Formats: sequence, structure tokens, C-alpha cells
Amino acid sequence: MHFFSVVRWIAWKDLLSEYRNRENISSMFFFALNVILIFSFSFSLDPDTLKEIMPGIIWVAFGFTAIIGLGKSFLIEVNNDCMEYFQCLPVPKGAIYLGKFLGNLLFMLTVEVVLFPLFVLFFNLEILDQFLPLLLISTVATIGLSALGTLFSALTVQIRAREVMFPILLLPLSVPIFIGAVEATRGALSGDPFSMYRHWIELLGVFDVIFVVVSFWIFEFILDY
Amino acid sequence: MNAIRGESLSKSFQHYQVLKGVSIEVARGECYALFGPNGAGKTTLLRIFATLHRPSAGSFEIMGMDGRRERTKVRALIYMIGHGSYLYDDLSVKENIQFAIGVRGWNPTDGEIKKALDQVGIGRFARLRSRYLSAGMKKRLSIAKALLIRPKVLFLDEGYASLDERGVEMMNECIRAFTKAGACVLMTTHDRGPTAEVADRVGVLNRSVLREMTVKEMVAADALF
Repeated sequence: MHFFSVVRWIAWKDLLSEYRNRENISSMFFFALNVILIFSFSFSLDPDTLKEIMPGIIWVAFGFTAIIGLGKSFLIEVNNDCMEYFQCLPVPKGAIYLGKFLGNLLFMLTVEVVLFPLFVLFFNLEILDQFLPLLLISTVATIGLSALGTLFSALTVQIRAREVMFPILLLPLSVPIFIGAVEATRGALSGDPFSMYRHWIELLGVFDVIFVVVSFWIFEFILDY
Repeated sequence: MNAIRGESLSKSFQHYQVLKGVSIEVARGECYALFGPNGAGKTTLLRIFATLHRPSAGSFEIMGMDGRRERTKVRALIYMIGHGSYLYDDLSVKENIQFAIGVRGWNPTDGEIKKALDQVGIGRFARLRSRYLSAGMKKRLSIAKALLIRPKVLFLDEGYASLDERGVEMMNECIRAFTKAGACVLMTTHDRGPTAEVADRVGVLNRSVLREMTVKEMVAADALF
């Protein structure tokens, strides 16, 4: 019971801080907006070709937005030595990880929910029929990205070259997530039946479980060195 | 039973040995003041007892529990007021307290929070974001957290730093309240005057030699090290 209360308190603290300063979410949003604008003005393609390349554009925007947002997620804990307070807490450190992960996941999903209408607007996408599958793909892929991003943010926050190290660690391990997300998104945008791309979503789900469980376990050693 | 017992504690950072075979015992209900020159290892010793550093050699117990093996149990009994304020700039004073206590598994009522904040003289700032607090007010807020947490062992790392005269008096009132309730206070300090009012025993740590003396001796001495 106390375990979940810690998770809730940490997610609450992160969301409230972000709501008040909007530092992270605004930089994520404006970066993604730039990506959308650049791609929309670069290509003037027919609808079929657009559907082919659209999954790539969407996940380039989401992926790099994740790097910007998740990389900074533990900076808030370094100010005023809050990491030290976490270290001293008589709770399993995995609860702290899950709290941070939950906060990051909600940030990411919020940004993605705001960005999707912009994709529709700038690329004339017709996704109303595919809204639910796209939401599912987006959520499942973002869980994996947030799980890894939270872990590597904690791992790199104390080092001087964190802005270099964070993407170096995150991107190679995120490859299976991006492959699964792009393939599933392509299926959804092409209007394929759900069963045709369901296996990609299941694959993403498997990676989510692996990344969350392993990160949860490793976090104990990161914080309690 | 001693509240704190450290035996032959050593700690090195890279090639520099900060502590070498230091032993110390502090009883329940006792306030022990640790003096020493900069770099003597006072903070390092406190951080070992607070489970923030692992000793390179030696052992220690907090309330009879092995500090190396039973870290989570030890952490439930201790609280450290260190150089960091452990505050989140975008949360209010009250929210910071709610969070700090909440993650320890207890949700204090508004009345209890107000009482603690009034006790340390910052009750009227409860709704102010902590980024606007001065260093002294942040220290008072840390004391308010300690009052609510009611640890069995309180570590004060330069507890009087940043506090004004009234703040120092208030800190001493809190130390007396803790020791009267049977808690043990281990503090590092450079301020002999206020320390003399609350300390039961004094130790001077210099080059890994801990020289114990009475409070009277400490007050009478021209120089401690």
C-alpha cells in the first residue's frame, strides 16, 4: 500500500511542478511543432506516398521529443539535493522509479495528444476511423520510451556530459520500439484490419514489460550506490 | 542501548582517506556535537550514519540495527538536515512538506502542518513557492519536516548555518524537544556558543582522531583544534 502511495506522491509532485513551470512540456511541444512544420513544407506528396512516410515523420517527432523531455526529467531531483532525500527514504527505490516513470509517461502522452491534431492539420490525414488503434500504438510505444528514458535520465543526471550520454544510451535500446511503432502506425494509417498489425503492438507490449521490469530492478542500484 | 554506535569507521574518496578507524557512541536522548576543521570528515561521518555513504571499513549501528545490512529499517528511524534543502522550487511550502512526509508513508493533517510551520516561524509562508524562500527559511522548513517526521535519530550538518538569532534559538528549542522525547541528535557545527546550550557531549574530530570533552571544557578552550 505504501509502495503505491510513494508512486502516486512522486508522480503528483512531477506533474504539479511541470504544470507550474511548463519548462519541459513547452520545449517538447515546440520542438515537435518545428519537426511537423519542416516536414509539411518539405514534402508535397500524393496521399498514398504520404501514408507510406507518415509513420516515420510521426515517430521522428515523438522520438526526439522524448529525448528532449525525458533527458531532463531527473534535473528537478538534482536541484536542492532531492536525490539525496530519495536515497534516505525507507522505501523500495523501485517505487521512486515507477513514480518518475508515470509522470514522464503522462507528459509524453499529453504532448502526443496535442500533436496528433497538428499532424492531421498539416498533412491532411484522415485518421478518424483509426483514432483508437493509433492511440493504442502511441500509448504502448510511449510506455517503452518512458521506461528507458526515466532509467537513463537517472543514470546520466549526475554526469557532466549528460546531454551527450543520454541519447547515446537511449537511442540504440529504443530501436525495437521505433520499429514496432512505425510498422504498427503504417498499418493503422493504411486502413489495414487491426489483425494485420496487431503483432507489432504485441511486440511493443513485450518490450514494455521487459524495459519496465529491468529498469525497476536496476534503479535500486543506481540510487542506492 | 546506544542510539548510534560506529566502530573503526574509515572512508576514502579516491586516494584521499577522510576517516581512518573512527569510533563513536551516542546514547538515546543525548545531543552530541562534533567539531573539527574543514575537511576533517565530520560531514562524511554523518553521511555514513545517514546511510548516504558506505564506509570503506568498519561497522555502525543505529538503534541496534546494522547500518550496512538493514539500511531500509535504519532509514525509517533517521532524518538528516544537511546542506541541501530537499525542496522543489515550484511547490509551495505546504506542498513540499506534504510530499516529504507523504513519501515516508504518512499524510499529516493541515492542522499538524500548520502547527509545525508556526513552531519554526514560517506559518504565514505556507502557500509561498519554495523558490522564493531565503536560505534561513529553507533551513526552518527542514526543521519543520523533522518535527513532523519525529525521527529517533536526527543528524544536523551545520545546523545553525544560515539561521538568524531567533532561528538559532528555535533550532535549540527543537533539539531540546527531540532529546527530551528520547531521540538522539548528532550535529556537526562550528558555533560553540549556541552548541553549549544544548550539547550533552562534545567531540573534536581532527585527522581521524576523535577527542571527546565536556561542554565546559569546550567553552573554556581557547581553540578546539
